[in-house]
Amino acid sequence: MDGINRKERAGRIERSGVNRRQFGTLLAAGALVAGSGWPLPASAAPPVLRVRIGSDIGNLDPARIFQIENQTVATQIFNGLVKYDEATNAIVPDLATGWEISGDGTVYSFALRGGVTWHKGFGPFTSDDVKFSFERVLDPQTGSSYSGQLASIKSIETPSPDRVVITLKEPNSGFLHKVSAFNQGWIVSRKALGEIGDKAFALNPVGTGPFVFQNWAPGREVKLSANKDYFAGAPKVEEVQFRVIKDETAAAIALENGEVDIFFGLQQPEVIQRLKGGGLVTVLDRDANHTINLVLNTSIKPLGDVRVRQAIYHAINRKALIDGFFKGTKTEASGFLTSSFQEFTDQVPLFPYDPAKAKALLKEAGVGSFSLDLVAPGANPYDKIVVPIASDLAAVGIDAKIKVLERGAYLQARNKGTVPTCVTGVVGAPDPDSPILSLFAKSSFPPGLNTAHYEGIEDLIAAARQAQGDAARKEVYGKIQAKVMGDVPVIPLYADHLFIAHTKKVSGFVQNSLFTMSAYPVSLLEA
Amino acid sequence: MDRLLRQLSQLAITVFGIVTVTFFLVRMIPGDPAQYMLGDYATEEALATLRAQLGLDQPVYVQYGLYVLRAVTGDFGSSVVTGRPALEEILFSLPDSAILAFAGLAVAVVIGIPLGILTAERQGSWSDMLIMIVALFGISFPVFWLGLASVLLFSQELKWFPALGASSGGGLLTHLHHLVLPAGVLGISVAAYITRLTRSAMLEVLGQDCIRVARAMGVPERRVVWRLALKNALVPILAIVGVTFAWSLGSAILIEVVFSRPGIGSMILKAVSARDYQLVQAGVLVLAVAVVLVNSLLDLAYGLVDPRLSTR
Repeated sequence: MDGINRKERAGRIERSGVNRRQFGTLLAAGALVAGSGWPLPASAAPPVLRVRIGSDIGNLDPARIFQIENQTVATQIFNGLVKYDEATNAIVPDLATGWEISGDGTVYSFALRGGVTWHKGFGPFTSDDVKFSFERVLDPQTGSSYSGQLASIKSIETPSPDRVVITLKEPNSGFLHKVSAFNQGWIVSRKALGEIGDKAFALNPVGTGPFVFQNWAPGREVKLSANKDYFAGAPKVEEVQFRVIKDETAAAIALENGEVDIFFGLQQPEVIQRLKGGGLVTVLDRDANHTINLVLNTSIKPLGDVRVRQAIYHAINRKALIDGFFKGTKTEASGFLTSSFQEFTDQVPLFPYDPAKAKALLKEAGVGSFSLDLVAPGANPYDKIVVPIASDLAAVGIDAKIKVLERGAYLQARNKGTVPTCVTGVVGAPDPDSPILSLFAKSSFPPGLNTAHYEGIEDLIAAARQAQGDAARKEVYGKIQAKVMGDVPVIPLYADHLFIAHTKKVSGFVQNSLFTMSAYPVSLLEA
Repeated sequence: MDRLLRQLSQLAITVFGIVTVTFFLVRMIPGDPAQYMLGDYATEEALATLRAQLGLDQPVYVQYGLYVLRAVTGDFGSSVVTGRPALEEILFSLPDSAILAFAGLAVAVVIGIPLGILTAERQGSWSDMLIMIVALFGISFPVFWLGLASVLLFSQELKWFPALGASSGGGLLTHLHHLVLPAGVLGISVAAYITRLTRSAMLEVLGQDCIRVARAMGVPERRVVWRLALKNALVPILAIVGVTFAWSLGSAILIEVVFSRPGIGSMILKAVSARDYQLVQAGVLVLAVAVVLVNSLLDLAYGLVDPRLSTR
């Protein structure tokens, strides 16, 4: 810069491409373009329903399906013999119009709906497809994770195209839950699978449901189109787009901007509060079908002593966890089942927050201070809720050490069954048999989900299967809940609560407790 | 020709090394892909069947041998989650990543290089100080913070741009509309870096004898800075652009998450958590090739900028 005065420099700037006046004009033009909005485009007609999902899909084959996003997409495509009523969780007809159960509770005969056709021209739906679907899940070669769910099936007969008869090895009063429209209950087309092939079918599914799979753009979206020939009548929207939006804050802004219509998988307390407070969208909530539990391994000292387990239960301030950490977006649980189960009872032993009692119980058990690993998967919120729990336990003299493991490592550690505790939830349909069998049956000892190594209810599990009729079932399941909650192999930390938000354009939406959503009843109002 | 062959063999060796290291690193992460896929209800038989199908029951060195043999023929295996060819899935998301990386880099170059030159030219002035402070902020602020802040400001408050960094349809204009925020944020965070490094490169050149001589001979200052000095500083600046390309691919992962934009970064991230070995390997391979290719092209470009380098 030596020897150059201001005037010369100004001259040079004048000579360079853009002078000050031109620069000013450019700025003004820029501001004009920006100010005029380049406005966010309005949604396109014909009516397209855009749903936010938090993670990409990967597999829509009912025999191998996993992850809530896959299940949410699949539920639009497939039907089961029966299904859960979205609002009440009652079991209602789906592909079966009615069913008869033999007196001894082992033979289920389903009358099937006529005139149902498969998507993409794969012909009529028949009883043979039902037989094929369930046998496929049971075939070890399929490697289905749900083969255990259908294990009570002895044989499947198809006396006519519109009738299927399933014989069970022994009575199972919860069998309708197993063939309900979820996971292993979804019916696939024998013809379509034969032609498309197992591998390709996973991302080119053929069902009988209200929406037909169109395409999947990895990391971006899944497109489904309306099935005009759907047996219950065509859907009210032409197309459903499931758009992958990971970040909840971004998804909330997209919802408020009208870039998406339904916010599925709304979980963060801050985002829920923000959407509720904004008043721009509708926020729905209801109890989910699962609790999140702290599993205590009863085969490890000193957790083998029931008084120690009860002491831990008394020591955890669960209300503070719900009010403070979750800002009231979860609900308190008295047991491992939620009130959304028809067999739910709150007549169970309760262990309210009482650190003094916890200390007394530990003293009574003759246990001095000991250290305990709290094992949690490295996923929000599980990796964070263990922090207040550890501090609660420290207050009664238990040296709790937090061990957060990445999901893969966590599953491996839990399935080995050597972890002293772990935070876990069993997500699924409102079928009491599934969580009870998974968490507390001897047959589910590690590598199964019974990480507690609990075996106090074998006889009651058998009795529950024999029980015919709602009242008898409710009684046995009531006994199971009371017995388990007294023995404390798990501590229910909270009952999950589901939130879904949608714009004011969305009408007819019904929130279910399954952690999925149905686009079928939804219509879009003109903005 | 020799030079090109040497470049290509270097490229091959580098990529082979990266893929091999990735292969073993991914397998050192605890966790079982079969367990991940089949979930909580999986029986031991189902897990064993799937492991056998995926070849995971073989010892690691056998898996590696098979992998290399297949890779040579262009078969990089299938994603364990979706069952689709891994390379195909990665290449499907390559355009999204490439567009973001190049758009971001373009923004960074357009902002960073002139600012770097300007600050070098006015070393010590208040504008130099101001720009350097802003650049320091630009480097210090995390990309995801800038991303969220820009979404809150430009999407939520002003409603100028969509909150989502990718559109599901529409024409070129719609796609550009969705690209502005992610590319802008990525560009600004990289620009800060380029500004600082360009400034250093320019200062070094401006201190050289040839510049003093030119000035003493009365060559106009503008010509000294923009022709003589810039030409000499271009090699280090190009090197910076090469480095920042790799760096911006890394930042692009965060951008992709914040703006819900599909791309290789977020796909690899998902694949790592799903233990989707084949997809991780294919993704890393494609990224490595992209970075090595861009740097090789820049190596060739040095020769054009400075002929002395091409004869070395």
